[in-house]
Amino acid sequence: MRVFQMQRISAIALLIFLTIHMIVVHYPPFHINFDIILQRMADPLWKAIDIAFLFFVLVHALAGAYVVLTDVQRFSPLKRVFAGAAIVLGVVAMYYGTVTILAFQPPA
Amino acid sequence: MSNNGAYPIVTVRIQRFNPDTDKKPYLQEFQVELKPGTTVLDALHEIKAHQDGSVTFRRSCRHAICGSCAMNVNGKNELVCKAPLKERLDRKGRVTIRPLPYLPIVKDLVVDRSSFWEQYQRVKPWLVPPENIPEKEFRMSPEEVAALRNAETCIMCGACYSSCQIIALTKEYIGPHALLKAFMRVMDPRDAIPGERLADLAGGDGVYRCRTIFNCIDACPKGLNPTEAIETLRKLAQKRQAFEAARAERQKRLSEPIPSP
Ligand code: FES
Repeated sequence: MRVFQMQRISAIALLIFLTIHMIVVHYPPFHINFDIILQRMADPLWKAIDIAFLFFVLVHALAGAYVVLTDVQRFSPLKRVFAGAAIVLGVVAMYYGTVTILAFQPPA
Repeated sequence: MSNNGAYPIVTVRIQRFNPDTDKKPYLQEFQVELKPGTTVLDALHEIKAHQDGSVTFRRSCRHAICGSCAMNVNGKNELVCKAPLKERLDRKGRVTIRPLPYLPIVKDLVVDRSSFWEQYQRVKPWLVPPENIPEKEFRMSPEEVAALRNAETCIMCGACYSSCQIIALTKEYIGPHALLKAFMRVMDPRDAIPGERLADLAGGDGVYRCRTIFNCIDACPKGLNPTEAIETLRKLAQKRQAFEAARAERQKRLSEPIPSP
């Protein structure tokens, strides 16, 4: 039940974040432009949004991979291994992603 | 092709497999007359009676009520006693009959349904009555009875079970047939253990394993909707305690007359 809830909640969050992402990054009139990226990445609010986006992407993707793999009977003795691997992978990816986002400093 | 102008002759392709002699299943062709009203099961009977007595299949009632004749016809699970042969012929005048998929084959069209029945047993498909059994009768509202209608006509044929892609991957999943039965018990106001049932169904092999592929709906020869039942169980599992409390309240009034709307 917990994995199911994680997937559903992260899916709703992703709908919102992906919509923002597509509008802000990919579509005109705010078409992709490095100057705009520099401005945006200097803003702590955008950094927070990107970190939250990364969090929900990781939750959704890793929960999805876990569910797909554990659907196979042959893998069911490895459930705990998969869960552990997903958590470790998630924490490491979250750490590196957050550090990268926070470390970004626009040139003076 | 026609048989001296009497009835057209059609080809019935049957998947054969005898575990004692065959390495793997193969298709064998038989010719039968297409008489008016012939069902796929009639064709199988004709073949077994007059052409090859070793062709093995299950059937009992021949009226789409016992569920024993579920097979895979042209890639779709169905009850062969209900399937008109004429409507199942392809452009070359052939029909292909295979056993229910994803289940071990015992012989020819007969499959081993052990996992199907084990999972069924697992959901406690029987009614657990409340302690205060009314002296005369249980009073249920028309709405409460209607809620059970999606499940009560299930004949346990296995068509949904063996069309489910999750069952193809794992026999640990409870399966649409048993979840539909569990839905019926959970929704029944007479049942005393809906909370316990929902807790079991919310486990790793229960309702959250359904991936809403909808094959079970397509396959059900009775037009039932196991996916919708599973979806309802999922929602109820999220608010299990409230549902349990409401049931306990409802059971206090099981012998009272239903107020008219
Ligand atoms: S023989 Fe009973 S359902 Fe077909």
